[in-house]
Amino acid sequence: MAQDSLAEATPDASASLTVPESSESHFMVVGLVTFGFVNQNTTTTLGGIKTTDKTNSLGDADRFELSPMFLWRHGNNMLIEFEPSYNGSTIGVNWADVSYFIAPGFIARAGYLTLPFGIYTKRLAAGWINKLASDPIGVDMAGSDFGVELEGGFPLGSMKWSYDVSLSNGFQLNNYGTISGVGIVAANNGKTFCGRLALLPFANSSLEVGVSALYGSLAAAPGATFTNTDITNTKGPSVNMYAADINFVKNINPIQLNIKGQYSMSAVNTMNYVNPTDSTQKYSFTNNVSSAFAQVSVRPVQAQNKVLKNLELAYRYVTYQSPQNSTWGQNYTESDIALDYWLSWRTVVKVAYENINASGTSSVALTGTQGTSLVNRMIIQFSTEF
Amino acid sequence: MLACMGLMFTVLASCVESKKVAGKSGAELWADNCQRCHNIPSPVTFNSEQWKTLGMHMQSRALLTHNEREKVVAFLQSQAH
Repeated sequence: MAQDSLAEATPDASASLTVPESSESHFMVVGLVTFGFVNQNTTTTLGGIKTTDKTNSLGDADRFELSPMFLWRHGNNMLIEFEPSYNGSTIGVNWADVSYFIAPGFIARAGYLTLPFGIYTKRLAAGWINKLASDPIGVDMAGSDFGVELEGGFPLGSMKWSYDVSLSNGFQLNNYGTISGVGIVAANNGKTFCGRLALLPFANSSLEVGVSALYGSLAAAPGATFTNTDITNTKGPSVNMYAADINFVKNINPIQLNIKGQYSMSAVNTMNYVNPTDSTQKYSFTNNVSSAFAQVSVRPVQAQNKVLKNLELAYRYVTYQSPQNSTWGQNYTESDIALDYWLSWRTVVKVAYENINASGTSSVALTGTQGTSLVNRMIIQFSTEF
Repeated sequence: MLACMGLMFTVLASCVESKKVAGKSGAELWADNCQRCHNIPSPVTFNSEQWKTLGMHMQSRALLTHNEREKVVAFLQSQAH
């Protein structure tokens, strides 16, 4: 394992390039596995009554993942990717798509896609890439969908830029105002458009800034009972999402500084919903959700000490707000710190501490009460790419 | 419509590298780009065929330019077992 450590990944850059001829097609399996141990203390205050719950979970109940990724390259232009994932309770699919490399800067894709919204979900979510133990809440608001995608990267002098756009089946609006994917069969004629533009302003690609936007009409979920707030308006609801992301990685001898962040927000038209405690009454609320995280990590990659150079210290702050006066509103903040030890470039052991404060902002008239919760977690996590 | 698309493709394809970027080796681009998301992979982790396949996967994830992928994959293949 030490053989492919970062420290020893120093091939001769001046060596002549002797590239073997490539075969017509090639199939391979890579993937990732993440497991661990979590000790969690949860203190909940509801209606003035405080309760405490303690759990110790082997396997790490929220973060366990085994995801083999099947890659099949057909010739020089076609790539099929399929990644099923077992999370301890269900087997899902992260992506299942076929890509065609049309021309430099133009890659077309179809199938079940990770939507191009922000930077985290598509690039940073894997346990062996994530510097912390958990994913930031709310960062995956666009998620994955069935559709088509066009993407590519281009040079721009000493800078470069990239685009990534998709057209997919989209979302449905559920009772109480949450949204969820409609799946492979569209529920209406509307489609969801999503796209991200990114600029890397430095020749060494150390900084990337991106902006994303999503628009889609919302189908009504089966059995949904919401109505327009304006009864003369026959147009259905829609969703807009926006995100901004930043990624900065720089080697400043003797450390590597790594800064990442993303802000995401979603807005759904205000609708009238049936009161869950009194079906003769309706209520409405401003249906906006926002999520943000900022993280920094440092690793002394140029340290002479072998143990020290494989250590990385990471911190992340997360904030998340879901709608006030809905049935599911909350204000949520999370602070995470982790000390990682890299056994190789793709294998890490993390010792992490997470502190979460959440307070309900739901309407008391709808749910009867507003509560708060304080969660403290200690996590030991192992993750590797295979 | 087709004319607009043709014009867009022409404009996009005319984006060119500066001499500084064009002169970068595959090893430099390997170091610059991989660490944007994860640690720099050891070239001996995969064989030549695998690097070609992974190069396509990584280009679509990190949105590398075509030249970046070509150079990085050639470098990794030259160092692979």
